[in-house]
Amino acid sequence: MTTFGASLRYEFRMQVRKRSVWIVPALTLVLFVLIGGSLLRDLFDPGERPLDPRTGVVGLAVQLHALLAIGFGCLLADRLVRDDRLGVAPILDATPASPAARLLGKYLGAAAATAVPIAVAYFGFAAAYAIDTRQPVALAWALAAFTVVIVPGLLLVAAFALAVPMIMPAPLFRVLFVGYWLWGNIVSPEMMPTLARTLFHPLGGYPLDALFGFHGIDGEDTWAGPVTGATFNVLRPEPTPVLAWLSIALLLLVSAAALAGGHTLRARRLR
Amino acid sequence: MLGPPLAVALGVAAALAFPEPSDTTRARILLGGLEMAVPLAAAVACATLIGQDPAREVQLSAFTPYRITLLRRMTVVLAWTASVALLTAAVLILTGWWERWPQNHGALAGQLTWLAPTLALSGLGFAAGAVLRSPAAAGAIVTTVWAVQQFFGDAVQAHQPGRLLYLFATTRGVVPGDWTANRLTLLGTGAALIALALVLLGRPERLISEEDE
Repeated sequence: MTTFGASLRYEFRMQVRKRSVWIVPALTLVLFVLIGGSLLRDLFDPGERPLDPRTGVVGLAVQLHALLAIGFGCLLADRLVRDDRLGVAPILDATPASPAARLLGKYLGAAAATAVPIAVAYFGFAAAYAIDTRQPVALAWALAAFTVVIVPGLLLVAAFALAVPMIMPAPLFRVLFVGYWLWGNIVSPEMMPTLARTLFHPLGGYPLDALFGFHGIDGEDTWAGPVTGATFNVLRPEPTPVLAWLSIALLLLVSAAALAGGHTLRARRLR
Repeated sequence: MLGPPLAVALGVAAALAFPEPSDTTRARILLGGLEMAVPLAAAVACATLIGQDPAREVQLSAFTPYRITLLRRMTVVLAWTASVALLTAAVLILTGWWERWPQNHGALAGQLTWLAPTLALSGLGFAAGAVLRSPAAAGAIVTTVWAVQQFFGDAVQAHQPGRLLYLFATTRGVVPGDWTANRLTLLGTGAALIALALVLLGRPERLISEEDE
């Protein structure tokens, strides 16, 4: 526990002080505002924003999660291999500290620190929206959406960002990751076989549908469930709250498996 | 080295996976691989060029200016990307898939399909690397800009400046008449960003001071 706590604290402090952890999300948000058409503008426009605060903040969670998770994954992609590159890993391996506890601490510490700007941005906009609309309940919905939709997705991204660069260069991981993020989250199942809208959907299709009743800002989108004629429909049962929690558990399980894979690879290389 | 061929392979896989027997859409996906995936692979590689050398002080004391060394490395990345893209385009032209996408702009000018976004995005990656000196941050900026243009293609193209800077005007452009201006703007932007990076890299103290590791 001491090893885990120390590793977590150290990784968190190191990561949260990096300029790039703040610059990348900040630039993303500036770009997001500049292009227009996003909820960042519409939320504060009485003529454009959704009437229901739940729809407003959940929609904001989807947009910010879809976009900021990309920078989040890219920034974390060198965290594990960095220890080897800088020659720190052999020194740490020579200590009695458990490698598994160190890895878990690094994973949660670095992921939490990289998620801080995302949380600040999301809750900042949600708070401004709650004040602007005089609906404090929006903040409660924001907290729920962050916990149930954004956190599991970010934990999955962080696990792969730490583990996969063990078997391929970090730049190649970044290319494949952004390709996967587009394919596995945004591409329509009618267009090609995709994991979007299945139980394994890092953007949280099942929780969005079954726990928040979210069907897009205009109420016309489908985030989960079977799609006529699409491949992988076996992974798209009709959304229910139980399946939504199962979907979250699946994301966490795959995250744990990816992290365990990374740990095993490192252990083999040490032998 | 693996990035560009892998990007082409993924584009072909996506075209083969398209379930409906529409040659036009399949051709669009194939050209989309050239316009979307290839520039991304090249740009992330260019974003990684700065901040990786373990002995920068030695490089800075060498006869060849370090920024020229970095520019040469970038040229190698872009030349390899161009080889892969040209070979792919040649195969598409010879097999007839190129002309099945109505907005292909011919075999010669049509090469700007991949060249313009590759130069613009790679220039962005190189400049971001020079400013931030962090491959992770520069890579994150490149992938984010690419993703924003993917996710919000319609919003980006709702106004003229956005249309001129839109990376995917061949396969997802909403105003076909803007294509030539768009490609030239992207080429100019790429050149300007590379020039900016070279100016920044001309200040050695930026390269040996504290890094954002």
